[in-house]
Amino acid sequence: MSAAGGAVQAQPEPLDESETRRRPYGLLLVAAPVLLVGWLVIWPIVSAVIRTLWQPADDGGYEFTLETYVFFFSDRYSLDNLTVTLWTTGMCALFLLVICLPISLYLRFSVGRLPAYVQSLAIFPMFVPSIILAYAFIRVLGPNGMVDILLNAVGLPKIRTPYLTPWGPVIGLVWDNIPLTVLILLSGLGNVSNQAIEAARDVGARWLQVLWYIILPRIGNSILVALSFSVLGIFSSFTLPYVLGPAAPEMMGPFMQRTFRDVNDPQMAITQAVITFGFCIVFGLFYVRSVARNRGK
Amino acid sequence: MARLDIANVTKLFGATRAVDDFSITVTDGELVCLLGPSGSGKSTLLRMIGGFEKPTYGSMTIDGEEVIHLPPEKRPTGMVFQSHALWSHMNVFKNIAFGLKLRRLPKAEITQRVEAVLDLVGLKGFGERLTHQLSGGQQQRVALARSLVLEPKILLLDEPFASLDQHLRERLREEVRDIQQRLKITTLFVTHAQDEALSVADRIVVLRDGRTEQIAKPAEVYRTPATPFVAGFIGQMNLISGVVSEGEFGHSAFNVPVAVADGPATLAVRPEALTLKPASGVGMGHVHRVTDYGTHAMIDVELPDGERLKSMMPTADEWSSMQQVDLVPGAFALYRDNAAIYRADVGTPPRKAPSRTRGTVNA
Repeated sequence: MSAAGGAVQAQPEPLDESETRRRPYGLLLVAAPVLLVGWLVIWPIVSAVIRTLWQPADDGGYEFTLETYVFFFSDRYSLDNLTVTLWTTGMCALFLLVICLPISLYLRFSVGRLPAYVQSLAIFPMFVPSIILAYAFIRVLGPNGMVDILLNAVGLPKIRTPYLTPWGPVIGLVWDNIPLTVLILLSGLGNVSNQAIEAARDVGARWLQVLWYIILPRIGNSILVALSFSVLGIFSSFTLPYVLGPAAPEMMGPFMQRTFRDVNDPQMAITQAVITFGFCIVFGLFYVRSVARNRGK
Repeated sequence: MARLDIANVTKLFGATRAVDDFSITVTDGELVCLLGPSGSGKSTLLRMIGGFEKPTYGSMTIDGEEVIHLPPEKRPTGMVFQSHALWSHMNVFKNIAFGLKLRRLPKAEITQRVEAVLDLVGLKGFGERLTHQLSGGQQQRVALARSLVLEPKILLLDEPFASLDQHLRERLREEVRDIQQRLKITTLFVTHAQDEALSVADRIVVLRDGRTEQIAKPAEVYRTPATPFVAGFIGQMNLISGVVSEGEFGHSAFNVPVAVADGPATLAVRPEALTLKPASGVGMGHVHRVTDYGTHAMIDVELPDGERLKSMMPTADEWSSMQQVDLVPGAFALYRDNAAIYRADVGTPPRKAPSRTRGTVNA
């Protein structure tokens, strides 16, 4: 028997001492990818930021300067390019939501063979390379394309083609991003049970009220993730804006490429890349916040 | 309070008849249990009443008004789902208030009605909790409150306690019965648990393959089951196949006098109506296993043809494995062509089958 009060109980010895030691195996497993990300992603970002802020001085050394940024934000042409990029991204996000949400809702709440075909059709663009899509677009909606030929055949006037206008990249990028957006929204809708919807209808909700009060709040995170992914890709896209878009103003992707290769101004091209990265990271933070919030739940 | 009339309702899914020519009238304030095994059509029937499925044929009226073409949101019914179906992005208060909000009631009235129903289901002060912070039982109470707050004419409960543990189920079903009695709300309760149906229902509908086997009060369903299926499904029952010949039901182990025409029949006797007597010499069967439940003992008796019967006895003390016993059935019923043809409230002691019969059967 131990004395009452004051007695300090000895801590029992752990049966397996290795239980109390931290094992480094997990860290070792992630070390290689983390190093690769550091080398191929983080370092180029840091290097680009440094190269735009510390530039060679006349005395042979380096000096801190915001010269290239000041030029970018005071140059009408650069600002127009940034504006058209933001406009294209915004329009694409809007169209993707308007097009993909009904498709996802249909696929989630319908059964049978037709939804399976619709799903295959919605996923199909994922397997079509952007360059092929761009040329298909030109052959269909371009000047003297298939639509024009069909309209002409029935005696109707030609369409005003979106090819080489800001709408060209919008149409191409929306088409290109439909599969990923549909898949992400569909996965979010999978978490909305049929019974949750039936319960809402049971208490008197009509279909639009079910959508507004029950479905949309439940898939808010999925919408955010889908749009973040799409916007990140669209903002810095190159092929479709390069082939389908106007020569001026142009989106940031072709603009960077032309500044680097045609104008031969790598310093300015890097500045444009850092500014593009700055916008993309905002959308990236939305995505990270959404994932973190889900993990928290 | 409301009256529900269902007439000749049939539901086809392709070639499958989920519900086949079902009719019932549920009166004001009555609690009717739809009981049956999986696939018997009980949930489909409830979903048709709630408006989530449309009958292929038939009619459904609530207080004389045809509701068959009304969508769920326009029906005067409230449904409680098996999985609770609470909306996890809303707290308890908002879950319950949602239906009232859709009806554009004043805020003060919504608050007053939600608080009242929370009090009714024993969740006073839980309004601000998120649904995932509640236990399974509390979640089911919120689901019940969500339906009750709208004061539906008919309350539909679709296996509401199926996901809860036994102890909680027993407590909740008593609470639901109390609430139903207090509000006098007409209720249909789907369950596959016979004890649940027997303990809460005013009437039980036993369904099998979409068809009605019996509609009766719980005691009647238990004591005078209309078909061998009901006899076997409700409670424990010994079902013994045999042949009636010259006024006796004959089995390889025993014969029982019955006043029915000759032919094949099934004898149904409950374990509590089957008494055992130690046999002096070779008995009708022998004890295979004795299970002591404390309050009573269940004795498994093996007949010479290998068939096993259960007998409920007050204690396990006087029975042991391989002991020779004779059987004394009390109340029993005889079934033929899926209908009861004979009932005996107090059975006549059975006669041991002549040894030649046993010999013949066992050969």
